[in-house]
Amino acid sequence: MSGAVCALDVRSVSKSYGATVALQDVSIELQAGEVHALLGENGAGKSTLVKILSGVVKPNVGTMRIGGEPYEPRSIVDARRGGVATAFQELSLVPNLTVAQNLSLPRQAKGSFGLVSSTATQKQGAAILDRFGLRLSPTAIVAGLTLAERQRLEITRAFACKPKVLILDEPTAALAETDWLFGLVRQATAAGVAVLYISHRLAEVRELCQRATVLRNGRSIGTVGLEDATDHTIFEMMVGRGQAEEMQRRATAGHSTRPAVLEAEGLAGGSLKNISLTLREGEILGVAGLEGQGQRALFRALVGLAPLGSGSVRVDGASVRLSGPDVALKTGRGIAFVPEERKTEGIFPALATATNIVLPVVGRIGRAGLVSERLEREAAAGSSSEVDLSPRYLDFRVGDLSGGNQQKAMLARAMQTGAKILLLYDPTRGVDVGTKQSIYAAIRRFAESGGAVLLYSSELPELVHLADRCLVVYGGRIFAQLSRIDINERTLVAALTGHSIQETAA
Amino acid sequence: MSSARPSAALQPPADTRRIGRIRSETISTAAIFALTIILILASRFVSPALGSWDQVDTIITLASFLIVVAFGQGLVILAGGLDLSIASMITLGGVLATTWNGSLGSEWVVIPAVLILCACIGALNAVGVIWLNIPPFIMTMASGIIVASAALGYTSGTPRGAAPDAFLALMKGSVGRLSAVLIFVVIFVLLAWALQSATAFGRRLYAVGANREAARIAGVATWRPIMAAYAISALCAGFAGMMLVGYANGATLRMGDSYLLPSIASVVIGGSSILGGRGSFAGTVGGAILLTTLGTVISALGMDQGWRTVIEGAIIVGALLLLREDLIARLRNRSAG
Amino acid sequence: MSANVDAVAASAPGSNLGIAIRRGLTDGAGVVAILYVILFTLYALWDRSALTVSGVTNLSNNAAPLAIAAAGESLVVISKGFDLSVSGIVSLSNVLMATYPVEGPGGALVSLLICLGVGGAIGVLNGILVAILRLQSIAATLGTMIIGQGLALVIMDAPGGTIADWVSYTLTDVLFGIIPVSGLIVLAVVASWLVFRRTDSCIGLFAVGADETAASLSGISVVRARFTAFVGAGLLYGLAGFMLSVQTATGNPTAGTPFLMLTFAAVALGGVSLTGGRGSLVGAVIGAATLMLLQKVLFSGGVSSFYTGIFQGAVMVLAIVLGSFISRLASTGARA
Repeated sequence: MSGAVCALDVRSVSKSYGATVALQDVSIELQAGEVHALLGENGAGKSTLVKILSGVVKPNVGTMRIGGEPYEPRSIVDARRGGVATAFQELSLVPNLTVAQNLSLPRQAKGSFGLVSSTATQKQGAAILDRFGLRLSPTAIVAGLTLAERQRLEITRAFACKPKVLILDEPTAALAETDWLFGLVRQATAAGVAVLYISHRLAEVRELCQRATVLRNGRSIGTVGLEDATDHTIFEMMVGRGQAEEMQRRATAGHSTRPAVLEAEGLAGGSLKNISLTLREGEILGVAGLEGQGQRALFRALVGLAPLGSGSVRVDGASVRLSGPDVALKTGRGIAFVPEERKTEGIFPALATATNIVLPVVGRIGRAGLVSERLEREAAAGSSSEVDLSPRYLDFRVGDLSGGNQQKAMLARAMQTGAKILLLYDPTRGVDVGTKQSIYAAIRRFAESGGAVLLYSSELPELVHLADRCLVVYGGRIFAQLSRIDINERTLVAALTGHSIQETAA
Repeated sequence: MSSARPSAALQPPADTRRIGRIRSETISTAAIFALTIILILASRFVSPALGSWDQVDTIITLASFLIVVAFGQGLVILAGGLDLSIASMITLGGVLATTWNGSLGSEWVVIPAVLILCACIGALNAVGVIWLNIPPFIMTMASGIIVASAALGYTSGTPRGAAPDAFLALMKGSVGRLSAVLIFVVIFVLLAWALQSATAFGRRLYAVGANREAARIAGVATWRPIMAAYAISALCAGFAGMMLVGYANGATLRMGDSYLLPSIASVVIGGSSILGGRGSFAGTVGGAILLTTLGTVISALGMDQGWRTVIEGAIIVGALLLLREDLIARLRNRSAG
Repeated sequence: MSANVDAVAASAPGSNLGIAIRRGLTDGAGVVAILYVILFTLYALWDRSALTVSGVTNLSNNAAPLAIAAAGESLVVISKGFDLSVSGIVSLSNVLMATYPVEGPGGALVSLLICLGVGGAIGVLNGILVAILRLQSIAATLGTMIIGQGLALVIMDAPGGTIADWVSYTLTDVLFGIIPVSGLIVLAVVASWLVFRRTDSCIGLFAVGADETAASLSGISVVRARFTAFVGAGLLYGLAGFMLSVQTATGNPTAGTPFLMLTFAAVALGGVSLTGGRGSLVGAVIGAATLMLLQKVLFSGGVSSFYTGIFQGAVMVLAIVLGSFISRLASTGARA
């Protein structure tokens, strides 16, 4: 504020949906050429603020200025005209259109008679791809791209609008490496663009950003210079009190002598080339891997969601054929799966939380074939307390719960099945710090009571914290296997990026 | 012990707001029944003959076909599908019941045989939808066309024969002062409601309809509830066909046609989502009774068919507008406060 | 009909013919075009009159109303909606033309404008209900369809009336001794589609059909896209009603009822994805022509009219299964 005009000046913005207050009195200032982080737990109001800045929703009160001029966008297009472009977290690419068409939405390049010209659109798209160093075919259909390619395209599209203010909402969620993005961001800021950067990964934020504004419960708590603020301070601002608890390593138990409950031998097919693993009773076996190295296919194959080309799976020593999650649940001591996409593959938002939790075993809880909400609640009470989900939520529609509580409900559902083998795919993705702790505790208790857990996580500290052993997958194979004492972030990063040169070339 | 854990202090705003425990279905069902009752009472002012007990009895009799059919339709819609074959299945049920009655043996052989055949055809719909990935709209439309054509060919254009006695008794008989069909409707509604809302099958159906892939990942054998829904829908349609021949004592080849769209309309007016995963049978029953009442009142007022149809359409649109998601959500939040 | 096949290739984006052909096949329009050719060959073998001018004119007159209605439906289906109002609009247009016949070329124009007006008005109503008030399209248009049917009954409570002679004669006739007028009108619809395809509105339609949220975050107005689809569809249903009246030369308040099922059958047969975002109006038109041709083929093949439904249903199911099989083959081929 000191004399200079801010690139973006948001003053006392509030937004409520009916009785729900999403943002209250939020203020934030971005200087030109600055990368400014927006931090906060899920549900803190970050996405609402992004939507307001992008013109998707209108604030109830408050003022916004860009370069000193009033800024009141009525639509995305209006926001772009005002100099604000956004790369959305949920990716706003239209799947059935080509890369080039997406880059020039909503208005394609025109040829004769004012009609859309696909050649001109292609040429325009190719130029943009070239400028931002993206090796994609402009005629490729977006639906055929990998998640990482789509994320890069989304970012490129925002950059291509030549904004004065650029909003990047979780731009690295699907990216294995950040050099490309950070390079672009630095170029842009050098040219005077102000960047609002939203990420769950604090290390990234520290590398890229100068200042951070923290939101909590829809209010702006404050803005800090990142060089002066410790992780502890930032966490405290985000959650309200000290949550920066040091990750405790748990005592190593001798698992090697315990019986193997899940063995896979030479799994191949799809993106899996050759994967063998042994999961023992009482063990948490971590899986680490950069985006798209076959971990997703591995988990899906182990519950029968993806067909196997070759290889065999043994549960409790007996060879089995897994044809689907329903079969996996009933195989041996039972295999239950918690998928990564909570919204699309996990919860049933319109159903009660208790119904969600007991769904896989709903046939077991009935009396004389009849199921009631009370029976469901009673049945779900045990597993929900396992994951520290307050029983008062059991009656609510799970869609009304926060992301963290939804995730707990998903974990409770897996536990409710009674399966003794859990396959957890990034179980803390996008959840707040407190929920993470509850989930860690639940996983640990589950293993201590004789369960076996196969855990993939995109966050290395989580694997360091929880895993007894850790497999590193690369290119559909097991690239490294680390034992308890070797698991630390440095060795994991080394193993993950052992091939990183090839990965960026690919 | 949970107080020692951090989460309690960390509830984001989404949870701190008051969340209504009242389901949106409850509100829409109540609204539908209120509308029906208002309609019946209002019709009294116009003509004293209307709104009498006899008239209510007539309305229930006329609505009984629609209630039975709409239950099956509702299950299929709940499962994320749509059953356009029911018009033909009603006809098939009626045609076979009359044609086979007497020629194939006792009606206690004929009736189960017809019902089993109908259920099998319904299951075939499900096979196309589940394993051949044919959109439900197309699969059931095609099977409906095929069944209608088969019924036409089988009867050479003119169905013969009389209704099974059991259905004559059901549709025309009475128990004391109550007509048999009224008692049947009450029992049917209770059983059907229980099947949809209070069984494991029903729970799985809601999940499958809301998100089939998520249900599969959760460990539900998704084909079973879907197949059951289509089979039950076809079975209900066949049963309604036999009720219709019991009522009219004879079958015609187009007897099912006038029930297809009303069956969808009843489900939609009753507050179910046409996309599946949401809705209640109570609402559907309300929708069916409302539509039937409307028809009776309008024809009793001497309006012609055209205006009656216009008003029916307007009621559908009106009900949709009244039951809009956001309005219901607002109501839900307020009532929870 | 070969003009339509060419149009499929031309309608696919991309200048490369190979890509265009693959797109045509994966669109499903290619499959139905091949099916049409096979059926036509069969028909020509059984019925020599098929290849005469009057035979082709007959086919064209027969197929035009359904083809135009299916064209309208495809717009809504591509934008991920269902429009049941087609049967209401067709009936209403038909009874209006039979109740108020106007002779001469001027009369034809007046009748056409009335039909388009009725279709457009109901289309606007649908657009308001679905695009702006966000009702489920299948439910909202069920309501407007019933309203339309009711109004048709109010205007004419039993079949009757006649269409103006000039209109029903001229528009079923042949131009320059060889070109059926009805075929020209269908071609005009196809041509407008090919132009429309090259507008931002049409790209918006496809985008909204595939992913509404992404489309709106990309700056596309979802409301406008949906609204356009319903109004365009309504106008085409009006035109379909006009063409039906021309062909039947009489009024019937339930004339549009068969259109409900048949348009969806044609759209699906034509490879337009019922889940939105994929397909082409041309496919729907060929799909409609195929359905109508099938009836003729069955008739000339000696199949009892009782059983035509069995074949129609079976062809629909087979075409869908075959279409998805081919598009799966093509997409795995493209990946390899």
